[in-house]
Amino acid sequence: MAQDLLLEIGTEEIPAAFFPRCLEDLQRLVVEGLDAARLEHGDATYFGTPRRLAVIVRGVAEKQADVSRDEVGPPVKAAFDASGAPTKAAQHFAQKVGVPVEKLSRATTPKGEYLSARVEEKGRAAAEVLPGILEAAIRGIPWKKSMRWGDVADAFARPVHWILTRFGGDVVPCRFAEVDADGSTMGHRFLANHAIGIPAAASYVELLREAHVIVVPAERKEAVRAAASKGAEQAGGKILEDEELLDHVTWLVEKPSPVLGGFNPGFLDLPKEVLVSEMKGHQKYFSVTAADGSRLLPNFVAIANTPVRDPNLARRGFERVLAARLSDGRFFFDEDRKVPLIDRLDRLAKVTFQHQLGSVHDKVERFRGVARWLGQTLDLDAATREHVERAATLAKADLVTGMVGEFPDLQGVMGREYAKASGEPAEVALGIFEHYLPRGQGDALPSNDVGAVVGISDRIDSIAGIFGIGKPPTGAADPFGLRRACLGIVHVVLARRYRFSLGGLVDQALDALGPKVALAPETVRGQVLEFFRARLRALWSEDHPVEVVEAVLAAGFDDLVAAHDRLRAVDAMLGDAAFRALAEGFSRTNIVEKAPAVGAGQVDRGLFEKPAEGALYESLVAARAAVQKELGAGDYGAALRELTALRLPLDTFFTEVMVMAEEPGVRTNRLRLLTEMRELFGRIADFGRMDLKRAGGR
Amino acid sequence: MLTFQDLILTLQRYWAGRGCLLGQAYDTEVGAGTMNPQTFLRVLGPEPWNVAYVQPSRRPVDGRYGENPNRLYQHHQFQVILKPSPKDVQETYLGSLRAIGIDPLEHDIRFVHDDWEAPTLGAWGLGWEVWCDGMEITQYTYFQQTGGLELKPVSVELTYGLERICMYLQDKENVFDIEFANGITYGEVFRPNEVEMSKYSFQAADPATLFRLFETYEAECKRLLELELPLPAYDQALKCSHTFNSLDARGAISVTERQGYILRVRNLSRVCAEGYLAMRERLGFPLLQSAWAKAGEVA
Repeated sequence: MAQDLLLEIGTEEIPAAFFPRCLEDLQRLVVEGLDAARLEHGDATYFGTPRRLAVIVRGVAEKQADVSRDEVGPPVKAAFDASGAPTKAAQHFAQKVGVPVEKLSRATTPKGEYLSARVEEKGRAAAEVLPGILEAAIRGIPWKKSMRWGDVADAFARPVHWILTRFGGDVVPCRFAEVDADGSTMGHRFLANHAIGIPAAASYVELLREAHVIVVPAERKEAVRAAASKGAEQAGGKILEDEELLDHVTWLVEKPSPVLGGFNPGFLDLPKEVLVSEMKGHQKYFSVTAADGSRLLPNFVAIANTPVRDPNLARRGFERVLAARLSDGRFFFDEDRKVPLIDRLDRLAKVTFQHQLGSVHDKVERFRGVARWLGQTLDLDAATREHVERAATLAKADLVTGMVGEFPDLQGVMGREYAKASGEPAEVALGIFEHYLPRGQGDALPSNDVGAVVGISDRIDSIAGIFGIGKPPTGAADPFGLRRACLGIVHVVLARRYRFSLGGLVDQALDALGPKVALAPETVRGQVLEFFRARLRALWSEDHPVEVVEAVLAAGFDDLVAAHDRLRAVDAMLGDAAFRALAEGFSRTNIVEKAPAVGAGQVDRGLFEKPAEGALYESLVAARAAVQKELGAGDYGAALRELTALRLPLDTFFTEVMVMAEEPGVRTNRLRLLTEMRELFGRIADFGRMDLKRAGGR
Repeated sequence: MLTFQDLILTLQRYWAGRGCLLGQAYDTEVGAGTMNPQTFLRVLGPEPWNVAYVQPSRRPVDGRYGENPNRLYQHHQFQVILKPSPKDVQETYLGSLRAIGIDPLEHDIRFVHDDWEAPTLGAWGLGWEVWCDGMEITQYTYFQQTGGLELKPVSVELTYGLERICMYLQDKENVFDIEFANGITYGEVFRPNEVEMSKYSFQAADPATLFRLFETYEAECKRLLELELPLPAYDQALKCSHTFNSLDARGAISVTERQGYILRVRNLSRVCAEGYLAMRERLGFPLLQSAWAKAGEVA
């Protein structure tokens, strides 16, 4: 009969950041161990709190499955002597497999006939193999950081205090870090600080609940949410939704209990982000907003791990800590505002961006120039260009304010607030904040041109600069966040449909960097554009067939908006049978690449020998005019439909004409015809590289 | 009400009752109780060691001229070292909180992840900040390495922030209002010290002199190590470290130079640690024969 298996490792408080990953790992290791040991089992579930990691596997077989396998011994030739009696080798093999020589079978292999035997291996009892499986699982958890303690040789995330095991009703004896498994756990550290016998897996969750521990993570998270909401309701508001904080707090408590606190309403004139950062950042308090979410209330909810006897006593403590922090925040906010943002630029010269690339002040000088160029290129109006200039100048000034020194996450936010306080135009203040957008995947994008242009310029300076000193991102190492910077540029450019030359932008950045860049600018430019190609390929392949993405990128991406439009047009045409047929036929023009270069020159109608050549050429000339018109209008779908008209003449051409003719003039003329075809198609995508069978239809 | 000195006396009595020596503060400037040789050097090697002491800790950059209710040039740490770390140390620690009047059923006591690292000491450990109602009251660390040397056995370090705890217990908003002894406030004892030390750190200290002193202490440290005198050499390393902190507060060290100075101090810490370990080994690790070693664990 199958039994449920329970393992719980009791520890000192494990860092919240390690959850739930360590539980997933523990569960995986136990299940892998069971599978490797041929112990059949049902579903596995993990449980955990800061002080315990647990796994329950349902219906684990009590015995390993029996196995039989064929063992091969010595060759028959060597197994018997001239008289037919078994040799030493045969006797040895018979002894090893436990079968009398006369009962051994024979196996025919390509190398000849061998003695063989079927060996039946009886499965061992689960109770015999489980200790090893559980010990290996406990030992195998891959911690980001583990530690030793006392004189114990084993390492774990934090010291291990107990190990609870049950297989059915029995303890699975195992040992780790000088702790022997038994059948009991511990309750809540303060509310039930004693051993609690767990007779079997089935009662694990309930008995711990009685001991003030909610061991099911999802249930505890909901309990935290409910506790926080309940606290906020007492203040007549609701909590500021924050899943990240909710998840974090879930791994800080075994039994959540809310403490509603307040702060001096005078602090409410601090920027909202400052208040939320102060509450969340270090203290892990939930902020409270008015019921309609419109504004913050002067309240917070702290989630305690202990339902303290007198909440008023604990509340005073929570309030005192926050008040000290808010006073610090108030101090910084007031002090910072005494100095106009523009007067902080000198101090940026003392902040290193990267030692070869100079200070943040140097960086600002560089990307302001790039932003100026971009504003002109995009033909922004004069007022906006002025705002770009100012926002670029001030973009990093908040880095040397006291508040950002204390709360680096508030960069940009404080820049916006201090710009307002310094009397800068609203567009400039907003642009300072928005030049950091998007800060990550799914984040908001700049709402106007100021933040967008400054942000693009700042990022390209980082990318070109870091590549320029020969330190491009490698594998997991991307200390300057260049991948994110690259994607940031792409998202902003596409969202705002900015038309400009990406290569030109890189050139501007490299010009500004000047001698700071050690490598040859041409080399850096090439590397940076390749970097963009790789990011675009990964990004766009999320929504389009990778072959199509590659074909479109091969046709160029200097104009990111056009490249993206071409991609969408080609992808949309994949469902069109005529287009697919054309694209398949087109791959035959790849012959041009293998042929010797034909040099510059026009197609000469006089050299056509077959009607199909002339027909294709006239179709090409007609299509080219139409395609050019559509390309000019940016309608890549229409251009592709025009190209589809070339399908029949192209098919006929390849059926009737041998491109590599004997006569050099004729051959060159045909290659030139195909080259012109390819040039026309190549403005949209490199169709010759597109494997439609792999790309599939839509 | 527990005065500042009552708090110290209570902790001393508590830990002395659990097998700790009552050590004394070190007489060279240090930034933390960890740098006192009774921690930094004693946690090295195989010998057991259990000690508790108060360490005045100087942090020049934290000086606020005696005007900030929470920040001080010099604060006091109550430091406990248990080596090897006993199994029940968390419970013993919680007992010390009860002893000073912090009942875990009345307050939210939490062990919140905080890995500790001291770059100038080549030291790191894992542990927590202990929170009482959201306020950090103790740094609790299992030392893994000091002076760049792997520690075996592992020591646990408990560092109580005495001023903070006392402010909490006495319900004071300003550190200078703490009652030090009956009728005497912390401000009456220490405020002039804060004012002058802040003036020194931020205005009066002469960078040229400090730079020269740094070089001198560094050279002395190396010279003494060559003479196989790790204890006086370590004093010189401590002086280097404090001089560096003073230069830092004075704004005399640029961001780029900073790392270089940290590495130089760390290098001194490392060679002192190695020298000390070699000296104990020459002596045959005498504390392996002590009552502590025979008792196994404290408490």
